[in-house]
Amino acid sequence: MRRFMVLLRKELRELMTPQMLVPFAIAILMFALLGSIISGEEKKAQGRQDIGLVDMDGSATSLALPDALDQAGFHVVDLGEIDTASVTEELRKRDLAIGLYVPVGFEQQLESGELADVQTYAVVRSFSLTALSQTDTLKGVLSAVGGSVSDQVIADAIPGSDPETLKRPLAFTEHVAVGSLEAAVPLDAVYGLIQQQTLFIPVILFIVIIFAAQMIATTIASEKENKTLETLLASPIGRGSLIMAKMVAAGLVALASAAAYMAGLSYYFQGLTGGEMFDSGGVDVSTALGLRLAATDWILLGVALFLAILIALAMAVILGAFADSVKAVQSLLTPLIILTLIPYFLSMLIDIESASPLLRAIVFAIPFSNAFTAAPNLFLGNQTRVLLGAGYQLLWLIALVYVAARIFSSDRILTMKLDFRRKKRARVA
Amino acid sequence: MSEEVLEVVGLRKKYGQLEAVQGIDFRVRSGEVFALIGPNGAGKTTTLRVVATILRASAGVVHIAGIDVAREPDRAREIISYLPEEAGAYKNMSGEKYLRFVADLFYSEAKTRDAALARGREIAGLDERLDDKSGSYSKGMTRKLLLARTLMTEPKLAILDEPTSGLDVLNALEVRDIVKQYAAAGAAVLLSSHNMLEIEYLSDRVALIHEGRIVEAGTPAELKEKHGAVTLEDVFREVAS
Ligand SMILES: Nc1ncnc2c1ncn2[C@@H]1O[C@H](COP(=O)(O)OP(=O)(O)OP(=O)(O)O)[C@@H](O)[C@H]1O
Ligand SMILES: [Mg+2]
Repeated sequence: MRRFMVLLRKELRELMTPQMLVPFAIAILMFALLGSIISGEEKKAQGRQDIGLVDMDGSATSLALPDALDQAGFHVVDLGEIDTASVTEELRKRDLAIGLYVPVGFEQQLESGELADVQTYAVVRSFSLTALSQTDTLKGVLSAVGGSVSDQVIADAIPGSDPETLKRPLAFTEHVAVGSLEAAVPLDAVYGLIQQQTLFIPVILFIVIIFAAQMIATTIASEKENKTLETLLASPIGRGSLIMAKMVAAGLVALASAAAYMAGLSYYFQGLTGGEMFDSGGVDVSTALGLRLAATDWILLGVALFLAILIALAMAVILGAFADSVKAVQSLLTPLIILTLIPYFLSMLIDIESASPLLRAIVFAIPFSNAFTAAPNLFLGNQTRVLLGAGYQLLWLIALVYVAARIFSSDRILTMKLDFRRKKRARVA
Repeated sequence: MSEEVLEVVGLRKKYGQLEAVQGIDFRVRSGEVFALIGPNGAGKTTTLRVVATILRASAGVVHIAGIDVAREPDRAREIISYLPEEAGAYKNMSGEKYLRFVADLFYSEAKTRDAALARGREIAGLDERLDDKSGSYSKGMTRKLLLARTLMTEPKLAILDEPTSGLDVLNALEVRDIVKQYAAAGAAVLLSSHNMLEIEYLSDRVALIHEGRIVEAGTPAELKEKHGAVTLEDVFREVAS
């Protein structure tokens, strides 16, 4: 145990080099920074938007528009009376993104029962994510103008009526059933909730698996490259301790990095969504539908995630044993990365339960799948599935650790290598 | 009285098809320096690696102080120390930290550990450079650091693969003295070298390996006499060609 701790300290010190930590700190800072910039922009976008208005009609109906827009949260800038050809120029001059043009005869068209003309102008300055909110602004303007005018038209046509009821005569009540529970909540809200609670898990898991695998394979390859492996192997250290120290060190650093990424990412997503992801209509969706993980569910989820990380580490130990230089690690880890990418993407994109039998078999065979699908499965009440998956993961882990220990206690750690260059040269010769 | 520390019997080692060591026998007693010499690729490093427990013999047995290295490698590792042919230290660690890491591995008591550290510092002889990262060391400085690491734990059997390779004349002389004194204090030393002057000065007995077999063995004086040679180099030339 003492020797294990000495080794662990050494492994941690080897991992926490500036070269290893700086890129990673930068990534987190970038996420956090991006998030705060985006949320700043969003706030700007959510504030009062300036709208250019050209009213050529000057009728009672058109003169009511600035008020209606004002109530809908827009600030109206009167562009005066100009012709259609110069609206864009005027918008540019005043740095406005959206303009509204009400032509002469607008009210008259309405009164004679025709469709009344309104023209809108949008000046596009960039195609960035935040500039996309321009379309939202335009939609808001259209619905404010349309709503106000149609209210007026209805009130004129049927005096004493309630325009709202006439326009929307149906009251929908949505019912959603998940597992054995059913509640009157919007479907959107259910998906929003699950997404919000499980969105991070696959992303973080993917990052941690790749990062941890890379670290441990790199430490093994660098022991070979820097010729420290032989002395280490001749030292009085059990092969188990040797592998465990490397696995625990890489696992710890990967977990710490996961926590940091999580913090960075949550900032980022908060910026993207303004912190609000869905409208549940005032109902506590998670309680109503039992979409809340019990303590045992959290433990099960933790076990599935932890086993996935350990499996990745054990695989990386084996793959790292083939590498004779740090450079070779990248290409050697490709199979591991593919094994992780498959369940990562599939669990995000499709419903694995309803996939073709072949695809399902492939996905279930991959030891990382359980971790990627554990959270949704637990929400849907498929605890048994997750438990069986964890058992399967455990079998993989035992097999991999056994193979890794065999490699380390045999000659292979010193004699086995995949040197693609040398093979090629041999073929030429 | 000296005791037998190392016994190698019928040692063979295959790398795939290639049999690098084809049946080697020798014994090393405490207080003795035993040297393996021979041409490149003769099987010296392979033999040392098997003795150092990091390769498994294809056939034959190796006993260190009565411990079978194939059966109980962990016990053997407690009493040996191995300086590989090409060895490095952890580049981000200072020499001092590296020695401390090794001392921590071997000793749990602060007193014995600090004594080992003091021995290590003295053998390394790097003075204030000991606090620099070992990545900044020259080849010879690294070699001395690793020799310090090897001898500071006072192994019963020190296995040194070309201990003075890469060292300048003065440093090589110093290292030879250190090794000689170390054996004189009662330990067994098994080494390999290409420097025949070094072998003559250092070793009590020599085995000449050629293509995986010991073709000649004895004290340097015996070998020279047998071949009517003035130096060991002449013996080497005669036997190896
Ligand atoms: N890992 C390995 N895989 C395959 N063959 C090897 C390996 N290591 C050594 N050999 C082969 O075994 C033979 C003996 O090599 P070894 O390193 O023991 O020689 P040596 O006597 O130490 O030589 P040198 O004086 O050059 O250090 C050589 O033919 C070598 O090519
Ligand atoms: Mg050699």
